Amino acid sequence: MDFLQNYGFLIVTMIQQGLLGLSLYFPLMAGQLSLASPGFYALGGYIAAIMGTNAAFAPLRESLGSWIFPLEWLVAGVASAALGLIVGVPALRLRGIYLALATIAFVEILRVVALNLSVTGGAVGLFGVPQPFGFVDRWQYVWIFGPLLVLVLLFTARLERSRVGRAFRSLREDELAADAMGVPPTRYKVMAFVIGAVLAGIVGAMSAPFLNTWNARQGTFDASIAYLAYVLIGGSRNMWGPVLGGALLAALPEVLRPLQDWRLIINGLVLVVASLYLPQGLVGLFRRRRAAPLARPATQEVAK
Amino acid sequence: MKRALLVSLSLGLMSAAVAQKVEAPITIGVAVAQTSNVALLGQEQVIGARLAEKFFNATGGINGTPFKLVFQDTGGDEAGTINAFQNLINKDRVVGIVGPTLSQQAFSADPIADRAKVPVLGPSNTAKGIPQIGDFIARVSAPVAVVAPNAVKQALKLDPKIKKVAVLYAQNDAFSVSETGTFQETAKAQGLSVSTVQKFQTTDTDFTTQVTAVLGADVDLVIISGLAADGGNLVKQLRQLGYKGLIIGGNGLNTSNLFPVCGRDCDGILIAQAYSPALAGSVNQLFVKEYRNQYKKDPPQFAAQAYTGVQVMVEALRKIDKKKKLDTWNLADLRVELNKQILAGKYKTPLGDVSFDREGEVNQKDFYVAQIKMKDAKNGTFVFLK
Amino acid sequence: MELTQFIQNVLNGVSIGSVYAIFALGYTLIFSILGIINFAHGAVFTLGAYFTYTLAVGQFGINGLLKNVDLFPNGSPLGSSVPGFVLALLIGSVLAGLVGVVIERLAFRPLRSRGADPLLALVSSLGVALVLVNLIQYLVGAEIYSFPADVYGNLKPALVLHVGEKLVVIRTVQIIIFVVSMIMLIILGYLISRTKIGKALRAVAENPGTSSLLGISVDRYVLYTFFLSGFLGGLAGTLVATSFGIAGPYFGVTYGLKGLAVIVLGGLGSIPGAVVGGIVIGLAEAFVPAEYSAYKEAVAFALLFVILLVRPQGLLGRALVQKV
Repeated sequence: MDFLQNYGFLIVTMIQQGLLGLSLYFPLMAGQLSLASPGFYALGGYIAAIMGTNAAFAPLRESLGSWIFPLEWLVAGVASAALGLIVGVPALRLRGIYLALATIAFVEILRVVALNLSVTGGAVGLFGVPQPFGFVDRWQYVWIFGPLLVLVLLFTARLERSRVGRAFRSLREDELAADAMGVPPTRYKVMAFVIGAVLAGIVGAMSAPFLNTWNARQGTFDASIAYLAYVLIGGSRNMWGPVLGGALLAALPEVLRPLQDWRLIINGLVLVVASLYLPQGLVGLFRRRRAAPLARPATQEVAK
Repeated sequence: MKRALLVSLSLGLMSAAVAQKVEAPITIGVAVAQTSNVALLGQEQVIGARLAEKFFNATGGINGTPFKLVFQDTGGDEAGTINAFQNLINKDRVVGIVGPTLSQQAFSADPIADRAKVPVLGPSNTAKGIPQIGDFIARVSAPVAVVAPNAVKQALKLDPKIKKVAVLYAQNDAFSVSETGTFQETAKAQGLSVSTVQKFQTTDTDFTTQVTAVLGADVDLVIISGLAADGGNLVKQLRQLGYKGLIIGGNGLNTSNLFPVCGRDCDGILIAQAYSPALAGSVNQLFVKEYRNQYKKDPPQFAAQAYTGVQVMVEALRKIDKKKKLDTWNLADLRVELNKQILAGKYKTPLGDVSFDREGEVNQKDFYVAQIKMKDAKNGTFVFLK
Repeated sequence: MELTQFIQNVLNGVSIGSVYAIFALGYTLIFSILGIINFAHGAVFTLGAYFTYTLAVGQFGINGLLKNVDLFPNGSPLGSSVPGFVLALLIGSVLAGLVGVVIERLAFRPLRSRGADPLLALVSSLGVALVLVNLIQYLVGAEIYSFPADVYGNLKPALVLHVGEKLVVIRTVQIIIFVVSMIMLIILGYLISRTKIGKALRAVAENPGTSSLLGISVDRYVLYTFFLSGFLGGLAGTLVATSFGIAGPYFGVTYGLKGLAVIVLGGLGSIPGAVVGGIVIGLAEAFVPAEYSAYKEAVAFALLFVILLVRPQGLLGRALVQKV
């Protein structure tokens, strides 16, 4: 169908970016501003690209056929979890903007390393990544990303209602009080961080065949800020926020294509306007204002 | 925002055509990086392509019917390139695409065009493996391996006493990484000793560490593989900090964009060129004249390559039209035929005589080594060396 | 490592580091007074360079809306002498400061007056940077512009020093950048600690609520901060451009990421910290041995990661007190 040919890639990209926004949402549920997702996304993509193109894996590819793809996702998830633990445990002792900066540093270090190893193809990257399940058209990837999105949303909904979810929320509201009440902060913060890492890694592994190629430019600081924008503009308090933010902000430059020279200027203006006038994000527009929990004052107490 | 999306979606649905006939005017797609930090290269390609459009339409178009170029910006990343390609293929219904700018973008989007059976001509993709992506992928940009050795030989002609060489390259640029390999091999094959190999990024501006390392190694020849901004700064800093020997610049420095960066310090650089404005031959001289008239300087390599890309497509289309009028073809068949014809043809282009092998790799006859001669701080020329 | 090599590395480090330092000064000023990171600083830095270029040279290229425009066919009066260039530099920096003010009014104030999440300011400033960079490209294209080689008069391009029998070298324009960043540091330090304006800025930094109760117009002082930050950014951008040329609209934006590492290392909010952080990172990069030069880019971020774990307030920041 023509529509799918024309817009299939864009629609799948929207789902993919929504998922990456969600990968930021998990640490945020526990009050952690982590911008590490692009690092795990890049890692997952490299794993899939290497397993798909490197000669060392040829016998494995032959024997498994199409089953190598779910294997790639699994390996990417496990590797991201491992790296997430290694990086998360020391880094999550930091709060607020300091954690964000540490994760930015992590992403950049990973990028430079990837640029220089030969197994990652160096500056050129890896190409000729084989397509899963005989996919030919980009829109067919909706059969991979779509179910993943559904699964993750279901998982998130259940998580929010569970004990773990309540622990996250208590950490988000007031870490010290939660700790005093018996919620071990480090354990849950690392858990949230690792969940986000695993999601980003799996999305990366699915994206390498989607983009046909993978290189060090897939996991950069610019991506960190883009995902942050998805969450902030979509809405950071609700799981639909990052999905909506990701989908719309990914579609925006394409929708603006007819504007040609003005495309990115308008894109930038939309970002500014959205952050100015959507304090609760887009999701906030659609939901009736709940009574906001007692917020800590932004500034110090006036009276001493 | 949502409304815009709905509108575009419904428009897309409405445009679902069945067997599409080729409509006049014939459209050729150009997908290069018009925005992002690669725009410096992309904007030169746009200029080259537009000059070709003007010139070839003025000389009869496609046997009397004009053709049109449709531009879709790829931006600097892979996803943007795929989107640009898909817009050109499905919405704009082009018969072929000239682009994209970067090899990494080509690795991402070319397979898509190949699967859609749309011919793609890469104007500036030089990484190994690009023509092998598929039957519909070809390129007019020579993989640099061919031209580098000549530059080293020329340097030895100018100064036979060269013994020690320093090699520097931009490690985040696919182009430079493969070129430096060839330079280093050639240097060793010529009996020179490579005293130091320094890396940098195309986004770097300060090369103090690399330069002082080169000065410390006391070399007679410096070989640089990079692009205009970084290469130019590297040369300037080399000269300012006291390096007096010969400098060879790779293909990425083959542009007058170098001049504002190193000014008078550009003087004397040997450049390995895949394109020279000085090449005799009516096609190139016409192109150079047109470019000089409009832009008051010599055309850069990227513009010449983009021009060549469009020229190849137009000449192939002319041949097809002679056999069977273009408006009697349906789009899918025409794209396949265009690809066949592109690969079969021989062309006289600003790059010299050009043809393609079966995989789509370019056979370019003429490569040049030139030496930069600066008239003043802003203007210079690339002088042919025999 | 022998002495010459060591001294050369130190000179290289100072040379590289002073560029980072001068970029970071304006960057950290906003954080020190307002507690937000202004991602548009890189764009203002770039604009400053373009403004000064327009005044001192005024010749545009073959792309963009202003293609082939030549404002001064006989050479700009401001570009042909050192005092002229200094004047162009100052005017260009003032213009950049004014752009900073406009950015504050349009993209930051609405968020501030609502007490919104500071992260939204990050996204907003990102949007502003995107707009500015693409606007520059729309107007003058993406090509390289550079200042004439003699903007500082007939200075020798490099200073050559004898250490024993060998030579060490440093480019004079880098010395100028270092000296200017030191001067700016001293001026800024004096401004903040000795003048009334500085006192007001410090009050606003400490507690905007109380300050406004005490009669300090917070809005006005925030404007001054953005003007000053923009002025510093534009000044820095022009100076760096005289050293390396203006490599296109993104030329300043690429410093933004490393600038983060610089200001955190030096201490978020500490103005001397910005300079110290810049020099330290410059030195660290200069001392990376040649075999590992591929990883030079990562040095700044490795340092950043380590300092965050070991001493998050940075080298010169005040120790963070955990508020309950």
